[in-house]
Amino acid sequence: MNKTYLVFVLGSFCIGFMSTTQGMGLRSFVALPVEKQGAVIRLAFEHTKDADTDSLTTSAAYGLSSKQTLLFGFPYRLSPAGDNRQGDLSFLYRHIIIQDDSSSGTNRLGLLGGVIIPTDNDRDLAIQAGFVFTHFKNRHEIDIDALYQAGLDDRPDSGRYDLSWQYRLSPVEYPEWGIAQEWYSILELNGRWRKGRSVTHQLTTGLQWVHQTWVLEAGIAKDLNNEKELRYLLNSRFHF
Amino acid sequence: MKNLFLLTLFLFSFLLQPARARTVEVEVHGMTCAFCVDNLERKFGKMESISKIDVSLKTKKIRLQTAEDQPGLEIIKQTILDAGFKPMEITILLDE
Repeated sequence: MNKTYLVFVLGSFCIGFMSTTQGMGLRSFVALPVEKQGAVIRLAFEHTKDADTDSLTTSAAYGLSSKQTLLFGFPYRLSPAGDNRQGDLSFLYRHIIIQDDSSSGTNRLGLLGGVIIPTDNDRDLAIQAGFVFTHFKNRHEIDIDALYQAGLDDRPDSGRYDLSWQYRLSPVEYPEWGIAQEWYSILELNGRWRKGRSVTHQLTTGLQWVHQTWVLEAGIAKDLNNEKELRYLLNSRFHF
Repeated sequence: MKNLFLLTLFLFSFLLQPARARTVEVEVHGMTCAFCVDNLERKFGKMESISKIDVSLKTKKIRLQTAEDQPGLEIIKQTILDAGFKPMEITILLDE
């Protein structure tokens, strides 16, 4: 396999991982509501078909208050073995500045800011900022987020966007009282960019199985341009 | 003597009355899915004065079985806010 290609793919992963700490969508974590002093941990496994790489990203969210959340992400390459398996650490602070709740759903807008801390001396720090917007109404949820990561020193700038639509397949009607398990379909358009290259747009589809204290989700992500890579995703989330 | 006996009986019957409970029903806006609702159940579940919590995503209500006067309504409202939701109408039902 072409070494440059492998480095690019792994680099692309890192961009994605840097800002992972995901919400209700498959590819982003920043929309997740977290209560005051509540915590959520997410384990995200990803297999890239052509590059034949496996990775695991551990993300965590902690609620400072109902409107302030700390988000943390740490990617790790499971295979192939070798050097530099740790990706860079991502720290984000999210502040919800607009929250409009109703009986049928919610609209929330949050601002994001933080840093990417390299785990290797060859890489430099980055500062990241962006926003996340959530619209939830009845059986539909739409999450939109974007992050710009400004590299310091020799680190190239990077960025990402995620547009995610989730639709509750089951239950069609909630029970009168009590919490039922839920199934959601997911359709996403994602973008990953690094300075010097064009944006790689991706289409992601998947399913979510939502339980009261955990979520299991799986999907497939396909690059629409550039390397046209195919990724298999398997995630789990736990609420503490 | 008879009066003293009746008075004692009255006091005992008063003391032996079971503690009254109440049911508090709160309309909550912003509740969207099972995973989100867990926030609320955890918050209220930590309160000793709450013996039962029911959630309805259909009607967007929570129903709390509480001690007669604990927790206060302001605490209930703040707990819902801390969980990330918006408390609306509160209905109190005194149980027998």
